[in-house]
Amino acid sequence: MYNILSLLFKYIFIIIIYLFIFSIIRLIYLDIRGMGAVSLDDGSYLKLINRKDSLPFKIKEHYPIEDTITLGRHGDNDIMIKDPYVSKNHLQIVEDEGEYYLEDLNSANGTYLNGEKVLDVVKLKNGDRIRVGQIEFLFVSRE
Amino acid sequence: MLRKTTSAKVPRNLLFLFEILALLLLFVYQKDELDKFTFITGIGLILVIYISNFILLKVSTGDNYIFLIVTMLISIGIIMIYRIDPGLGLRQLIWISLSILIFFLTYFILKKIKGWENWIKLYAIGSYTLFLLTFILGSRTKGAINWIRIGRFGFQPAEIIKLLLIFLISAYYTNFEKFKEKKYSSYYLMLVVYSFIGLLFLQKDLGTALIFYLIFIALQYIYEEDRKLILYNIVLFSMGGILGYFMFNHVKIRFETWIDPWKYIDRQGYQITQSLFAIAEGGFFGSGLGLGYPDFIPEVHTDFIFSAICEEMGIFTGIGIIMLFLILVYRGFKIAMNQENQFFKIAALGISILFGIQSFIIFGGVLKMIPLTGITIPFVSYGGTSMLSSFIALGILQVASEELDMEEIKDESTE
Amino acid sequence: MNQQSKRMIVVLVSICLMFVSLIVYISYFQIFKAEKIKNNSYNKRLWINEESILRGSIIDRNGKILAYSEKQDNLYKRHYNYGSLYSHIIGYSYREYGKTGLELQYNNALLNINENAAINEIKNIVAPSSEGNTLKLTIDHGLQEKARALLKGKKGSIVAMNPKTGEVYAMVSMPDFDVTNLKENWKQIVEDTNSPLLNRATQGLYTPGSVFKVITTMAALETSNLNTKHECTGSTKIDGYVFKDYSGKAHGTLNLEDALVKSCNTYFTEKSLDIGKDKIGSMADKFMINSKIPFDLPTKSSTFPYKENLGKTDIAAASIGQGKVLVTPLNMAMIASGIASGGEIVKPILVKEIISPGGKVVKTNTTQTLSQGTDIFTANETKNMMVEVVKRGTGTGAKINNMRVAGKTGTAENPSGKSHAWFIGFAPADDPKIAVAVVLEEEGSTGGKSAAPIARDIMLYGINNFKD
Repeated sequence: MYNILSLLFKYIFIIIIYLFIFSIIRLIYLDIRGMGAVSLDDGSYLKLINRKDSLPFKIKEHYPIEDTITLGRHGDNDIMIKDPYVSKNHLQIVEDEGEYYLEDLNSANGTYLNGEKVLDVVKLKNGDRIRVGQIEFLFVSRE
Repeated sequence: MLRKTTSAKVPRNLLFLFEILALLLLFVYQKDELDKFTFITGIGLILVIYISNFILLKVSTGDNYIFLIVTMLISIGIIMIYRIDPGLGLRQLIWISLSILIFFLTYFILKKIKGWENWIKLYAIGSYTLFLLTFILGSRTKGAINWIRIGRFGFQPAEIIKLLLIFLISAYYTNFEKFKEKKYSSYYLMLVVYSFIGLLFLQKDLGTALIFYLIFIALQYIYEEDRKLILYNIVLFSMGGILGYFMFNHVKIRFETWIDPWKYIDRQGYQITQSLFAIAEGGFFGSGLGLGYPDFIPEVHTDFIFSAICEEMGIFTGIGIIMLFLILVYRGFKIAMNQENQFFKIAALGISILFGIQSFIIFGGVLKMIPLTGITIPFVSYGGTSMLSSFIALGILQVASEELDMEEIKDESTE
Repeated sequence: MNQQSKRMIVVLVSICLMFVSLIVYISYFQIFKAEKIKNNSYNKRLWINEESILRGSIIDRNGKILAYSEKQDNLYKRHYNYGSLYSHIIGYSYREYGKTGLELQYNNALLNINENAAINEIKNIVAPSSEGNTLKLTIDHGLQEKARALLKGKKGSIVAMNPKTGEVYAMVSMPDFDVTNLKENWKQIVEDTNSPLLNRATQGLYTPGSVFKVITTMAALETSNLNTKHECTGSTKIDGYVFKDYSGKAHGTLNLEDALVKSCNTYFTEKSLDIGKDKIGSMADKFMINSKIPFDLPTKSSTFPYKENLGKTDIAAASIGQGKVLVTPLNMAMIASGIASGGEIVKPILVKEIISPGGKVVKTNTTQTLSQGTDIFTANETKNMMVEVVKRGTGTGAKINNMRVAGKTGTAENPSGKSHAWFIGFAPADDPKIAVAVVLEEEGSTGGKSAAPIARDIMLYGINNFKD
């Protein structure tokens, strides 16, 4: 009895181990493709577009947007940018019924949408450029 | 965060499926002496691994694959150990639980305390102290003096020195600009590392000596600016190897046994040939858990666990383990490349190289691809100190996988 | 990307390569090396399986038991009934010394273990094997005994087979060793300079000498426009090297048949240059020289490296079976068989049937053609010449009353010692029942004098005792 079980199980074990390896490799693959971001296939994200040769702070190439995200110098923010020209709580992007809205949180140096300073809540559309401090993002929406 | 959890669920579920099935099988295998004790081991294993994976996901924003990969490795390892000897299996579980605790401890301490790159002298002194202790208190097992016995528990200082070595090299190259001002500073580093290797050689711990050397030369290759030092390093080591072959009998025996173990099948070739029998006998799918004879190999639960796994679970599982190590190493390098903090970058590299090299040396050894040196497979073999130090290393890697606070580093580099 | 990152990738790639090489090595090990390693007698697993199975018996073609196992104090013990008679055929199976011969080659059959591991596992569960299969050999015990008696005290080998079916009737290699008391004699057996462990019949490589002339003869027959006339003066010089006839005797005017009958060296050495090395070589190839003979026991390949750059002397020497030609006795018996059966070379068979414990025949080794050595005309013409050899030439020692016997003698010069005495032949020539090859190693006498009478006794036995 045990023998039959053991023989059966050894094949199952091998299958599980390889599925495990496969699923890890798949995750890593997705990870690399997303450059550290969670899957970018189905969602909106911010893409870094102008980048000075060397910024003295850390920044990623992509930031996915889910529900509400905030940007600022402080660690509480979803996107933390240690740029001295960025306020502690600089801006937020809010999602409402599939639309995204950009709001400046009374930042010292302001937020610019396609070159114009954001004064109120503005609806974002695909391809909008958002400039904050020394950096500029491209808003990409898949909806 | 939410999506991250869902995607990581697939491998995690597979891991638990694997464990539950394996435990079920072991319960049937042990059905004559099935008791509370066996049950506790099984439930314990699942709980420990499930909870630790869960906690890690909550506390760490860094990589969550490496811990998963490692838990798969320990699952395969402990199942085999338990099948060979249930008593050892239980003890291994205790070691694993303790090690995971230490893993979290390492994780928090490393994050809390800053300035690891400034204590290079401490690492050196610590290493020498541990070596000294080994020589004073050490007992000889299998011809090597690398154990300190305290009561019932044995302790292998070299396992800890390995990590100190990585810290030492990391600290050196992090502050390379500063050290470079002094002439010959890299020669001093080489001297220190070679003194470690020499001491290990005296302990007859050839496997660990080789690991030390390979970690050193890999990191030196990446960071050393004085490129001819690397050449010196290679020449010096090959000369040492040749000299060792002629001067020390134990080196010569290792080598000759590797060339033709069949000639010495009754004596020093016994272990390796038994290992080859086991692997050959297993075939691609293995004999089935509990249906092989891994206990024919001496030291099967530590150095030769891989042969036992190949015999009963097949070389497909063996290749699976090799691939698990491969992605672990790959992940480690990826972590190192993404890390901005120089000290943790180098430490992550050192640890990835350590995992890679150590597992390669013993896999190759039991397969007779390279000369056999008795070392353990990280996370898979039975052994307390080995498990502990491997998990400390993993803890360091976990810290290195996170975005560490940049400001202090920035301040220092601009000074 | 900065330089350090590039170097990191170099290190990563090196480690990856190391791991990949591990995977390649372990797969290579499993596919190519595992089988051999598993069968090492130090592998205790072999014996664990075996100790619960009654190893099958080995019987001769008439059902005579040659080896069997029996249970003694819960352990199976192997018995060999005829000491050293089958030391090279059956071999032995002992824990201490491992396995050889058929005991090794047919181990799985004798234990009734399936070769395929997966099927075997299922079988083990459904119906665990407790008794092995019996091997029925093609050997005739009476002839085997006779052959060994004829070789007693000498070194050498005899192979007797059915030329049409390939069944081996007798195969003796001397010196041999007693498999029943290996323990006492092991050291002596291993250290003996006469190598009793070597199966000379399948693995002994000998200079064939004049028996190889049958190959040259067939090559000559298939060469059109060859002037078959020759004036023999007892010696000839080829490329500065002198080839002499046996004791320098001049044979006078010869044709091909006379040359073979008198085994004239000068004839063949001179004609060999006209025939050409490729013609002789391809004839040798077709008679299984230079190729691995598939057999139930391990074999060595006979060699005639004619494709190498050979000088005239080398070609001439090869045409009379000297120089670079080396053959096994089994191969020579197959050449004789081939000529006997119209040029067709059949695979030699040693194990006729595998019989299950229930008495059912599980496997039969049937006759297989390995190669068409030559056509029936050349074969018959050569056969007739070989009949003349026995009738009036060097092979009169093999003469049997009232029967046409075909044969060829050989006295092979041996650079490392005294000459080997050879005889190959078959009888009756018109409906061959038995083919034989005899070699007496370092006998120092001619094949006609010492090997032919032995071959005669073997053939006579075969004709009198074998019905088919």
